[in-house]
Amino acid sequence: MTLTGRAGLLAALGIVVVLLAPSPGPAVAGVCLLLAAAIVADLTLAGAVRPLRLHRSGERLVRLGAQATVELVVENPGRRRVRGVLRDAWPPSAGAEPRVLKLDVPPGERRKLVVTLTPARRGDRESVSVTVRSLGPLGLAARQGSHSSPWSVRVLPPFLSRKHLPSRLARLRELDGRHPALVRGQGTEFDSLREYVVGDDVRSIDWRATARRHDVVVRTWRPERDRRVMIVLDTGRTSAGRVGEAPIPLAGAAVEGGGLLARPDPRPVPGWPRLDWSMDAALLLAALAARAGDQVDFLAYDRAERARVTGASRTELLSSLVNAMAPIEAELIEADSQGMVAAILARAKRRCLVVLLTDLNSAALDEGLMPVLPQLSSRHLVLVAGVSDPLVAAMAGQRSTAEQVYDAAAAERAQLERRRITARLRRHGVEVVDALPDDIAPALADAYLALKAAGRL
Amino acid sequence: MTAEATRSRPTTPTAKSRWRGGRWIALLGLLVVLGGVVSVLLGPEQETPRPLDPADTSLQGSRALAELLRERGVTVDRVDSAEAAAALGGDRVLVVTDTLHAYSGDLDGIRGDRLIVGAPLGVEEMAGANPVGAARQRSREPECSLPAATAAGSAHLGGIAYSAPRGTTGCYPAGDGWTLISFPNGSGTTTVVGSGEFMSNQRLAEDGNAALALNLIGTGKPVTWLVRPEVRPSGDLAGPEGESVYDLMPPGIPWAVLMACLTVVLVAFWRGRRLGPVVAERLPVVVRASETVEGRGRLYRARRARGRAADSLRAGTIDRLTPRLGLASGAGPHEVVAALAVRTGLDPQQVGGALYGPPPTGDAELVALAGYLDSIERKVREL
Repeated sequence: MTLTGRAGLLAALGIVVVLLAPSPGPAVAGVCLLLAAAIVADLTLAGAVRPLRLHRSGERLVRLGAQATVELVVENPGRRRVRGVLRDAWPPSAGAEPRVLKLDVPPGERRKLVVTLTPARRGDRESVSVTVRSLGPLGLAARQGSHSSPWSVRVLPPFLSRKHLPSRLARLRELDGRHPALVRGQGTEFDSLREYVVGDDVRSIDWRATARRHDVVVRTWRPERDRRVMIVLDTGRTSAGRVGEAPIPLAGAAVEGGGLLARPDPRPVPGWPRLDWSMDAALLLAALAARAGDQVDFLAYDRAERARVTGASRTELLSSLVNAMAPIEAELIEADSQGMVAAILARAKRRCLVVLLTDLNSAALDEGLMPVLPQLSSRHLVLVAGVSDPLVAAMAGQRSTAEQVYDAAAAERAQLERRRITARLRRHGVEVVDALPDDIAPALADAYLALKAAGRL
Repeated sequence: MTAEATRSRPTTPTAKSRWRGGRWIALLGLLVVLGGVVSVLLGPEQETPRPLDPADTSLQGSRALAELLRERGVTVDRVDSAEAAAALGGDRVLVVTDTLHAYSGDLDGIRGDRLIVGAPLGVEEMAGANPVGAARQRSREPECSLPAATAAGSAHLGGIAYSAPRGTTGCYPAGDGWTLISFPNGSGTTTVVGSGEFMSNQRLAEDGNAALALNLIGTGKPVTWLVRPEVRPSGDLAGPEGESVYDLMPPGIPWAVLMACLTVVLVAFWRGRRLGPVVAERLPVVVRASETVEGRGRLYRARRARGRAADSLRAGTIDRLTPRLGLASGAGPHEVVAALAVRTGLDPQQVGGALYGPPPTGDAELVALAGYLDSIERKVREL
């Protein structure tokens, strides 16, 4: 049960009554009795909350940055009208609006309420409880009760880099059979024969066919298909660092002027974790590779396997990827590179392109990946992609005061170590993509296309 | 988009299950409340202790001493005002345990021996004796010729120490003064003690406390014991017509206050009742990736690590310049400096000093070095 402001107001009026009454003692007793009787009557006449039945429907999936609507049907099987308010309690980052809904369900009827979710974070959001406060006819007191009406909405990564997909698909078509290549490259396969036109490479003339046809015939080639691409996402501690500017502000980012403990911070508001940028790049790469006819597998790993997608068909690949990625958060533990390499080797029997999305942090890589890299690069083609921090580049460029110069020196050192580890990786025969947060997805797609064009897959 | 219906179930416990779950706690709470009420009702009436009161049985009272005196056939009369003390008349011993409410004028008419506890300012002409300081309360030796003190031996005294000029006997010394002084007044002897704790129920049985008290008070004469008057709460103070504040209030006010309290309780319940639970959520950590770099920069700054800072800046510049100059990544200082001097026309000495020279000695020099490295890079880039 609960009371309303009216009960307080009535009691306040009681003070005046007691002051004016000739005999105040009995007046107090009278006012209290009257109030208690009114409250009891109101509680008795209020519609019961317990027998209410709630049904949910609505969206189960939503992209981060979009809105989802969840409908809640309240059915009142009781004999009294249920009038009051209802709160559908979601976690704060689900962004459920409105917080409190007005409710008025006559006996035996049902009403539909709509809650709009604007999630501020990837992952699964679940409704915690539905609380109904049913007011009595006098509006003095209310019955209150909670129902559990489970519903979960999965918030998917936004795949912002899909804007780069059309231009990369066009490049892919240039490589592909629709624009047959005349130059025979490593890893290309025979496509068809056609008549010679002026300008064709004479080395591509097929003399045997020419002899048969009384016409000069050339061979055409196309890039290989049905290669395997394995995208590995490092979800260790280095993926938790936030870089760049968040295109969609994520929950957990410092909100300006929010909270008592918020102190003015001259540094910029943190952007997205490296993990989210890597996911964006992985999605673009997967979309491109699926169109190019390659088989894409996905693995998220830190000290254990966090998510995996294997053998998805080309049409289902993207949806199963975003579903697998949605609940992944960066774990604050050091990634186990040895275990990761073992997991990759166990999954990939045939030679494939292993795209490892991690941070090019020289200390972490020296300890973890470098010792076990030869095992991987001897059997597979390895591509390491890392998101660089624009803030470090900015720090390296500012050199007007002594403080800035010390910061610039630290930034220079970090960049130098990054370049050195990149050079060392390349010496191991590993492809490296090191790009700013906004460029990582197209850069990775371009690196893939370059490998494809060179027939190195 | 799925449109499946899910069944809901109520999660608020019913009154019955709530009773079943909480009945033992409720019973325990009831027992605690009952125990409290009973102990308050049955327990001894708690009174504020009245120090050195002959009728008070608390540790600070002096009922024990009064009883001892009565056993010796000494009459003890407890009075709480100077007027009452003066009314008793005759040759008596006057004990003043509270000097705050007794004034010299009120006591002037009373003849006989006196025992005064504390600072008797305004109560008594002190025959030139003055308080000289505070003294710790502890057991002290008499060290004087006063018969009452020497007979009693050591006693628990302290509080205030007095000077003892000529004509005054000082006993129980403490520092520069005496915690007990005795001097003749017009009609008898006045004894002033720094503290009356030796007469309290708590201390009476220790040392020679009881003996000292009996020697000083129990001379056989009846005793007038002047104590602090009962202080009545200020609200009860009677007005000019003998009416207290409460008498002037309309009779409804206390009841209205009761009603206001009830209103506050109702409003508090209305505002305090939450609509549903507080939902907690585990949020991901917020940490800038550049924090390690910033931390390293601050360390450089804090330790004034100009050498390391300069090394980093130089290494970064050389690392960027070597490919632009067409050199291999492992090129030595001479090659780099020679190539730079040829390509940019800068002084090889100066370039060599900037790229491979000693570490800068001051912050200004470090800033200048950073600026010079920048200018070299810009020149090479513009080529």
